[in-house]
Amino acid sequence: MTELRAGQPLPESLPDPEAAPAGAAPQKNRGAVRAWQGVFVLILLVFIILLAARLVQTHQTEQRTSGVAPAFTFTTFDGETISLADLSGKGVVLNFWASWCDPCRDEAALLEQTWQQEKEHDIVFLGLDYLDQEPAAKAYLAEFGITYPNGPDLQSAAARRYGIKGVPETFFIDPTGKITDIVIGPIVSMAKMDEYLAKIRP
Amino acid sequence: MIFDIGYLILIAGMVLSAFGIIAGFWGGRTRNTKLVQSSFRAVYAVAALVVAATLLLWYGLLFDHFELNYVWNHSERALPVFYKFSSLWGGQAGSLLFWCFLLSGYSAIVAFANRKRHQVIMPYVNGVMLATSLFFLVLLVFAANPFKRVGFVPPDGQGLNPLLQNYWMVIHPVMLYLGYVGMAVPFAFAVGALMSKKLDNEWVRTVRRWTLVPWMFLSAGIIMGSQWAYMELGWGGYWAWDAVENASFLPWLTGTAFLHSIIIQEQRGILKVWNVVLIWLTYFLVILGTFTTRSGVLESVHSFARSDVGPYFLGFLVIVVFGFMWLLFDRLPLLRSEQPIDSYTSREAAFLANNWLFTAIAFATLWGTFFPMFSEIITGDRISVAAPFFNKVNGPLFLLLLLLMGIGPLLGWRHTSLASFRKQFTFPVIAGLVVALIVFVVARSLYPIIGLGICAFAAATIVQEYVRGVMARRTTNHENVFVAMGQLWNRNGRRYGGYLVHLGIVMISVAVIGNEFYQQTTNATLAPGETVKIAGYELEFAGLESNRQSNLTEYGARVIVYDRNGNAIDTVVPKRNIYDRTPDQPTSEVGLRISPIEDVYVVLNGWENGGATATFTIFINPLTAWLWAGGLVLVLGTIIAAWPHSTRRKTENVPSVVYATGD
Amino acid sequence: MFRQAVGWLIPLLALLLLCGLWFVAPVQAQDATPVAPVATTSQDEVNSVARQLWCPLCSGVRLDACELKACDQMKDVIGQKLSAGEDVQSIKDYFLAQYGPQVLGEPPLEGFNWLAWLLPVAVLIGGGVFVWSRARSMMRKPQPAGMAPGNSPATPAVSDDYNQKLEEELKHYD
Repeated sequence: MTELRAGQPLPESLPDPEAAPAGAAPQKNRGAVRAWQGVFVLILLVFIILLAARLVQTHQTEQRTSGVAPAFTFTTFDGETISLADLSGKGVVLNFWASWCDPCRDEAALLEQTWQQEKEHDIVFLGLDYLDQEPAAKAYLAEFGITYPNGPDLQSAAARRYGIKGVPETFFIDPTGKITDIVIGPIVSMAKMDEYLAKIRP
Repeated sequence: MIFDIGYLILIAGMVLSAFGIIAGFWGGRTRNTKLVQSSFRAVYAVAALVVAATLLLWYGLLFDHFELNYVWNHSERALPVFYKFSSLWGGQAGSLLFWCFLLSGYSAIVAFANRKRHQVIMPYVNGVMLATSLFFLVLLVFAANPFKRVGFVPPDGQGLNPLLQNYWMVIHPVMLYLGYVGMAVPFAFAVGALMSKKLDNEWVRTVRRWTLVPWMFLSAGIIMGSQWAYMELGWGGYWAWDAVENASFLPWLTGTAFLHSIIIQEQRGILKVWNVVLIWLTYFLVILGTFTTRSGVLESVHSFARSDVGPYFLGFLVIVVFGFMWLLFDRLPLLRSEQPIDSYTSREAAFLANNWLFTAIAFATLWGTFFPMFSEIITGDRISVAAPFFNKVNGPLFLLLLLLMGIGPLLGWRHTSLASFRKQFTFPVIAGLVVALIVFVVARSLYPIIGLGICAFAAATIVQEYVRGVMARRTTNHENVFVAMGQLWNRNGRRYGGYLVHLGIVMISVAVIGNEFYQQTTNATLAPGETVKIAGYELEFAGLESNRQSNLTEYGARVIVYDRNGNAIDTVVPKRNIYDRTPDQPTSEVGLRISPIEDVYVVLNGWENGGATATFTIFINPLTAWLWAGGLVLVLGTIIAAWPHSTRRKTENVPSVVYATGD
Repeated sequence: MFRQAVGWLIPLLALLLLCGLWFVAPVQAQDATPVAPVATTSQDEVNSVARQLWCPLCSGVRLDACELKACDQMKDVIGQKLSAGEDVQSIKDYFLAQYGPQVLGEPPLEGFNWLAWLLPVAVLIGGGVFVWSRARSMMRKPQPAGMAPGNSPATPAVSDDYNQKLEEELKHYD
């Protein structure tokens, strides 16, 4: 292997023709160049910060901790308008579902049954229909004889605020408006349901 | 046990790379031969270690060692050996190891090939390559350990994702990774040149060849990915502007711009700063692309499962941005331009326009890919940016680029005289107009008229160049046509190979236009014996059959294709594969009849009553076969252009650099 | 003089071509098969509308290619609406109201989303202006050729013996 001798002067290829920059306005140019350099680096920095923000955002929705339940308003399939604010002082069970969602069917009966039991006890069940069509949704509701208020989540506005990743997801909201539990997937055991309800009883 | 050793090997590699980086950068700066030699040895050692680790993981996969988490997650006993082999890159940790495997391989080859040349730059090159390896080794050691254990020995694994169980998914990632990873090499040379202030044309010539090779693999990888999408996904197309597809396309765009603009640097000594920025941008986009496919910041059908590697990538990106920007801004005075441009009608100007367009397309693609993310962070709205956006924004730009591709070679360096204009442009312009007229008459649709006209123009340019070259050789050397062409490739491979690459691009463009604007489609539910008509063909469903493989059942529907005269010209068998492990994730294989004019493309959607009726979607895709042919021509052209010629070595060692000892 | 005229002509032509293509493009997109409302709509007609919509649950999957149950339901609704005589635009508006801009496959022209369309155009034009002005300034300051020894020679640059030979052969032939 041919060796470079240590301390050898750098084999300069050619005398740098630009060694003495032609006089006029190198100072002004330097300022402009520095400005553009700054802009360029700033843009890249902003981009990376946004990427970081996005990473945090996706992480957060995976490990959502309880907090204040985001407000929402919707119109039921029967034409009634309900908003979360109206229900303060009551325990709210908010269920996101869809007619095309198979696991939702596993919990539909339990939800309706619990509603029937609890509606006198200031517990309100709400169903928000996610990315769905009215005819299919109504057919689904009829199939399970669901009577609690259900309506389409238009433009998935509420779904986005609650950060759901899919259906079914159920949020248990206490009378002060805090989320006490988030259940991903169908609720199939009455025991579990009672556990969740216990925390939101007024 | 043995796999714990694998983990230790990775740690050793990590430590050695760190050492090698220091040796390389410090040795390069102080010109300390011992340190420089150490950097070479570190490169070889890290390569050996990573190869060993990769072989270990392959061993685990091929011999069903389900106690390894990775093997359990991505393999099963019944998986064919072919796919056990390819499952190495089927999941997050394994594919990161594969990345590192190829990177350290490239590093070793580059180091070995240049052990006696570029002596001032090579220590830095080694350093940068090792720095990239270090990053991936850190990922492997801390965030995605391929040798993680399950804790007990499961009897069988989960199996490989069904979408990955076909031939294309074996070869496409390999090609793509070879391209992706290889882009670190020219970047390393650029950093080396900047660090050592050795910014003459010597490093440019080396960098060109070391960019062409990964560029070829990247191009091949992208086309193979399109082929997979076309033949497996069954929606009649081959490119969806998905985030991961764009991630592979972005470095291709900047890499292609770079390949063109270093030609101009070699010839005219201008655009030095821009070229260095371009090659850095390519590297940045490679790391960014690797990040986006693995971190979950963008939704994609291709994404790996969510994991913890995101923050590491961001940290590395910050280093890449700030480190390089500091270096560039510091060395900026050394990158002054030497020769001016003389005229707008010169090849230099055409190259400038080429770079302008490529950069604009790259920006638009990057912007469109990340816009949903920006929108969601800033406004909270979810929007989708898919083919309509990219077609509208990039479409016209690509057309303009095609036009430029035809014009460029016809212009002279420095300026083109009016007489030369007339002589060069007459035939191609006529060819373009004729084809545009034909398209206008046959199928009246504005975009194809312009697009195919431009394609004809560009193709005519290339043909004209070849004819002139062959004729010139015949006149002076009296060779016959084939020998003349061979000599053109042999002696002027850069130029005539490059023309072939352009021809490949023209063919691909023709296919894209044909598929985008003239596709016809229909759906049909047929019982055996029933037929459906489309575009002059008649397709008859002849029955459903099933075929048992080791881990799946193949259901195929035999469809007989008749032409307009009633002759049976082909039988295609669209399939649906139901996998034992994941019966709700079937894959499909398209029944395809390919011809240069159009493809008959049949998808089996489903069936009732064991085949009493079957539902099909049928596409007629005109000119789509030219995509694959164009890809082959492109690769051939690149090989011709990059082929090293021993006789040329002498002339390339133009003494612009004086070495202490000659070669 | 010819060169100077061309200097303005080329960017102008490029701009005209781009503008022309951009304005034509939306028209082209609409040219996808218009659907005549009939009493019973065929799957083909449904799919021709579905090709203009995107699955709201997936990322980048066109509605006609999506096999999810939700997408099947959407296609059923398209079929019903077509049978009822609705035109394509009102069907798209309906899904837009139901699901939001995700179904369109491109950012709608409102509010923040204007940025999606405008920024690439701005970069294109800005970049073009920048490159053009730099080229012009380079042309205004010609340096005496051959000033930098060892680099590009004054004659049309060839980097290779063989290329030089080819150039000579071509001159001879021409």
